[in-house]
Amino acid sequence: MTLERNILLALLAGAALLPFAVTDQYILHLAIMALFYAVLASSLNLVVGYVGEFSLGHTAFLGTGAYTAALLSTQAGMPMWVTIPLAGLVSAVFGFAIGAITLRLQGPYFVIVTLSFAEVLRIIANNWIAVTNGPMGLAGVGQTLFGDVAVTDKAGFFLIMLGIAAVALYLSYRFVYSNAGRAAVAVRENRYVAQSIGVDPFGTAMQAFVLGAFLAGLAGGFYAHYISFVGPEVFRFAFMATMIIMVLLGGKGTLIGPLAGAVIVTVLEEYLREVQELRLTLFGLIVMAIVLFLPNGLMGFIALRREQQAAKPTLNAAKERTV
Amino acid sequence: MDLFPQFLANGLVMGVFYALSALGLTLIFGLMRVVNFAHGEFYMLGGVSGWFVTNYLGLDFFSGLIVVAALMAAVGWLVDRFLIERVRGQGEEPGILLTIGLSIFLVNGTLLLVGPAPMKVAGAMAEGPLFFGPIAVTKLRLLAVAVGIALIVGAHLLIRRTRLGAAMRATFQDPMAASLAGIRTGHVYAATFALGCTLAALSGMLLASIYSAQASVGGLISLKSFVVVILGGMGSFAGAIAGGLLLGVAEAMWGGYVSMGMVDVIGFVLVILILLFRPQGLFSIRTERA
Repeated sequence: MTLERNILLALLAGAALLPFAVTDQYILHLAIMALFYAVLASSLNLVVGYVGEFSLGHTAFLGTGAYTAALLSTQAGMPMWVTIPLAGLVSAVFGFAIGAITLRLQGPYFVIVTLSFAEVLRIIANNWIAVTNGPMGLAGVGQTLFGDVAVTDKAGFFLIMLGIAAVALYLSYRFVYSNAGRAAVAVRENRYVAQSIGVDPFGTAMQAFVLGAFLAGLAGGFYAHYISFVGPEVFRFAFMATMIIMVLLGGKGTLIGPLAGAVIVTVLEEYLREVQELRLTLFGLIVMAIVLFLPNGLMGFIALRREQQAAKPTLNAAKERTV
Repeated sequence: MDLFPQFLANGLVMGVFYALSALGLTLIFGLMRVVNFAHGEFYMLGGVSGWFVTNYLGLDFFSGLIVVAALMAAVGWLVDRFLIERVRGQGEEPGILLTIGLSIFLVNGTLLLVGPAPMKVAGAMAEGPLFFGPIAVTKLRLLAVAVGIALIVGAHLLIRRTRLGAAMRATFQDPMAASLAGIRTGHVYAATFALGCTLAALSGMLLASIYSAQASVGGLISLKSFVVVILGGMGSFAGAIAGGLLLGVAEAMWGGYVSMGMVDVIGFVLVILILLFRPQGLFSIRTERA
């Protein structure tokens, strides 16, 4: 717990120095995207890793946040410090509504229904032209932070995203180590035992779900301003697949896992750009390889190694004793 | 109102293909409990390989259909033996991720090989409308529907009347008891997966002879197949058929009377409603929730 907290604090501090050390715009862009995905993956991890239900509809919240921020900015000219938190709140409301329906279901049913919600939202975004501008999307989302201050360079965006990531990690940390978080883990491990000691599975799952939706909404709001364009693609399954891969590669049910996954996948995707056409094909193969050979993600692998390391000396000691 | 029978006919035609594809998924998802997100990709591969064998190898439609069936059965068998088998019994999560990976691989591999353009499977006969009172149906569609129905009946007979079918039913009732009785369950799983895969692929090839095959169509088909399976009830043969026809008709009506753009919403709205009010599916008697 303290180790996890210290690592997170060290990572944040290190990241805060990055824009002063690096001026290369391309690397900063990668760092922004890695942070953006880190927030998304962490928010998905709250549902997948702590509630233990596999949500494939997380893009619903990303997209809702992005559209909220884009609409507030293009229609009402609101600055970022208003739009991004509002994007989070609207997503949280959606999270509450969708969670109230979907969290009654478990297993494959939950998977399919969450996915259905994301698809419904995508199709609505694609067809409700009066509001969303259909497939053309909303272009020219403003980049003012507050008043007349506009964010003009990548370093500025990086610091904003870092702020969001810090908020997201703080909230996740507080949730995971609260009674609600522990209750969620209890439900994940054994629903009936948890119920028998007075944990309300639906209520705890709901808290995690709404918090996850809120964080994904924040990320979506940022994305709208950063890319300055939002189209129905934000609801697409591709985003979802990327998020899942990050969470599972890093290791679900840990706070650091999704961060590691986000950084690795972002870098890997860029690196694979070299092989342009083969990129996604290889990506698919890598995903399959992870499932088969690293079932608990990197964090699970590291934990296993540490256990083995710890087990070795005692094993040797035991051997000596018998000799 | 006079278009109603036409919409109904169109819906039923589409419904047969949905049913065929969903029948494959109901075996894989409903019985084997593999949440197979690559199902739509098998459908797509059926269309694309159908295009390949009819256009490049110059086979006629029916021998093409047989070649594609054999090919996709082999693919399904291999996928199960080499991939799905390794995550069997670990809950649905690894399976979901594995099939997502597989679907990304298959879509992009296909895009790489044949490109994004639509591919037309050479049909078995000339396009020409037939009129039944107010309804116009092309001969090609009628033939494809007939083949689809024949395949559904064939699959039904395979499961109900053959030794393999009996082994399948035994395995899904109780894998332990089945293997104690000398059934090689590993083979049964692989055969079931291969059958599911083949049904999806043939649906894809039949539909590609009416419209065209495209490498990127799989995702939507996967979702619609899930919708149909849930509508009909997990693992229910009749449910998959009824659900497929229902979805086809509902989409045709919505497209005809309300709006064309939102057509794909129908399935998802249906599935959300079903899971809220009748989670065991419309046609399943047994209450079954994972």
